[in-house]
Amino acid sequence: MSASPVRLIDVATVIRSKNAGPLQITLDIMFPDQSAYELACASPALTVESLAKRYNVETAALNVIPYPPARAIKIVIDRPVVAGTPGDTDVYGAQQHLPLLDIVL
Amino acid sequence: MTAVAKLLANPPSVSEGMRIIGASGQLGYGVLADSLARGLERSPHMIGADMGSVDPGPYYLGAGRMATSEAITRRDLTLLIKAARSQNIPLIIGSAGTGGATPHVQATMDIVRSIARELRLDMKVAVIYADMPRDLVKKMLRDGRIRTLGPIPEIDEAAVDRATNLVGQMGQEAFKRALELEPDIIIAGRACDTAIYGTIPAMLGYPVGPAVHMAKIIECASLCCMPGGRDAILGTIEPGGESFTLESMNPMRAATPLSVAAHSLYEQGDPMVVYEPEGILRVNNASYEAVNERITRVRGATWEYAKQPTVKIEGAERVGERAIMCAGSSDPKVIEKLALVEKGVHEIASSILSGHIDDYSVKFHVYGTGATQLFSSAGLPTPGEIFFLVECIADTADKAKAVATVYKQYLLHHGFPGRISTSGNVAFPFTPPEVSAGTAYRFSFYHVMEVDDLHSLFPVEIENIKGNVQV
Repeated sequence: MSASPVRLIDVATVIRSKNAGPLQITLDIMFPDQSAYELACASPALTVESLAKRYNVETAALNVIPYPPARAIKIVIDRPVVAGTPGDTDVYGAQQHLPLLDIVL
Repeated sequence: MTAVAKLLANPPSVSEGMRIIGASGQLGYGVLADSLARGLERSPHMIGADMGSVDPGPYYLGAGRMATSEAITRRDLTLLIKAARSQNIPLIIGSAGTGGATPHVQATMDIVRSIARELRLDMKVAVIYADMPRDLVKKMLRDGRIRTLGPIPEIDEAAVDRATNLVGQMGQEAFKRALELEPDIIIAGRACDTAIYGTIPAMLGYPVGPAVHMAKIIECASLCCMPGGRDAILGTIEPGGESFTLESMNPMRAATPLSVAAHSLYEQGDPMVVYEPEGILRVNNASYEAVNERITRVRGATWEYAKQPTVKIEGAERVGERAIMCAGSSDPKVIEKLALVEKGVHEIASSILSGHIDDYSVKFHVYGTGATQLFSSAGLPTPGEIFFLVECIADTADKAKAVATVYKQYLLHHGFPGRISTSGNVAFPFTPPEVSAGTAYRFSFYHVMEVDDLHSLFPVEIENIKGNVQV
């Protein structure tokens, strides 16, 4: 493992968000190679606890699923508001990756 | 002989394999004609397209309207009907008209009839409706046989009545009944996208796991490729049915083992499992191998029939009429004191509206300060310019607009400590800056309902369109 801090945005090839149905947001982080993927999987910044803090939600509202076939980590979060209900400002859920962008692994 | 009759009379046996074209994941936004034509050259056994989704939000289901334009929907349907009829192969379209409720299905059928007349084609169309019987939903609610799929306000029997449209996602069972009537084309209301493609292989005896896995991937057309795109895709179930291959009909797009595996993540809460009305698809043992640089072979998905069939139900109800007000500001004092300005404008506006318009809601979406963020906008830099989208909802359009108009004027002229630009806080991009935005809806149902009798839930009707008879 590298000694200097590694920023997620510098090692991931994809960091995206989208609705998984109108009640949940899914975030996918994809990595270019096995070592970056493993570094991310082992990172304390990508645990349920760390991510729940980052997203301002209870740990029960968030799940982290590593998906080795695509060297990807999936994060699923309950939506604070059902997609498209007045008050929602991201109907497709496509812009909820911002809180991931300054993560240091 | 109709397209399905022809297919069933001489079906591609499991030892031969079969070819399916996934033409579009969102019919009506523009099918790419060249890729579809290349797909036809491969002599597919059927063409499918998905037309609907909850993605664009509750308005379309609630209002009974299509998300796509009539002109481009007609263009796409014409392309697919011509393609399928030219080779007399089945065309299956799911989630017609975006929402898949009766108004959506009827609007789609109006276009199909008009195309048939224009092309002078006779066609036997099976139409499958997906509206949920309200009494059944109420009974299932009382019996505790409806469960939520996530955080959504509590539902009751009154919510069943309030839903302007309430549909269920049909699965293979409904498509199978439609196919047994041997149509040329199936126009289905709200449907599982996998059932569009998976039903024929399952009926012909192909192993269900790989067939449904292939269906799950090709329903998004070439999205599983690198780079992803909207071109038609060819899914080929290989002899024996235990594996299938994927090939985009655009030579620029490559289905690679990684890109196909990654597609399992797309818009899914769980990449390993797909829940269908009749069972569960598990892809945790799926493997992906390159056939060449553009084609990937997939195998290993398994299918398990459910002991208790379920249907995902979706409903939307009216919230009120919406008006919006648009304004921008590049005044650093306004930006600095934003919270104070917003609070002050709320106070004055509500005191003015009080007694005249009482039942309304107002929300400030201030772009530049994290308006897109549902969870946290920590770390966003202080903006040099912001955009106010003020959203007003009331029970009539006039009232919503009246609210927006009061907010407009008081946002412009609100005085606050430290104000330097005393002639106006905001720039309006056009006049009038307050705009009626139609009816606001919300998803009131996104639940799973247990079903004892799938049969009666999705009625199939046959319509023989005589396009040759000009009236």
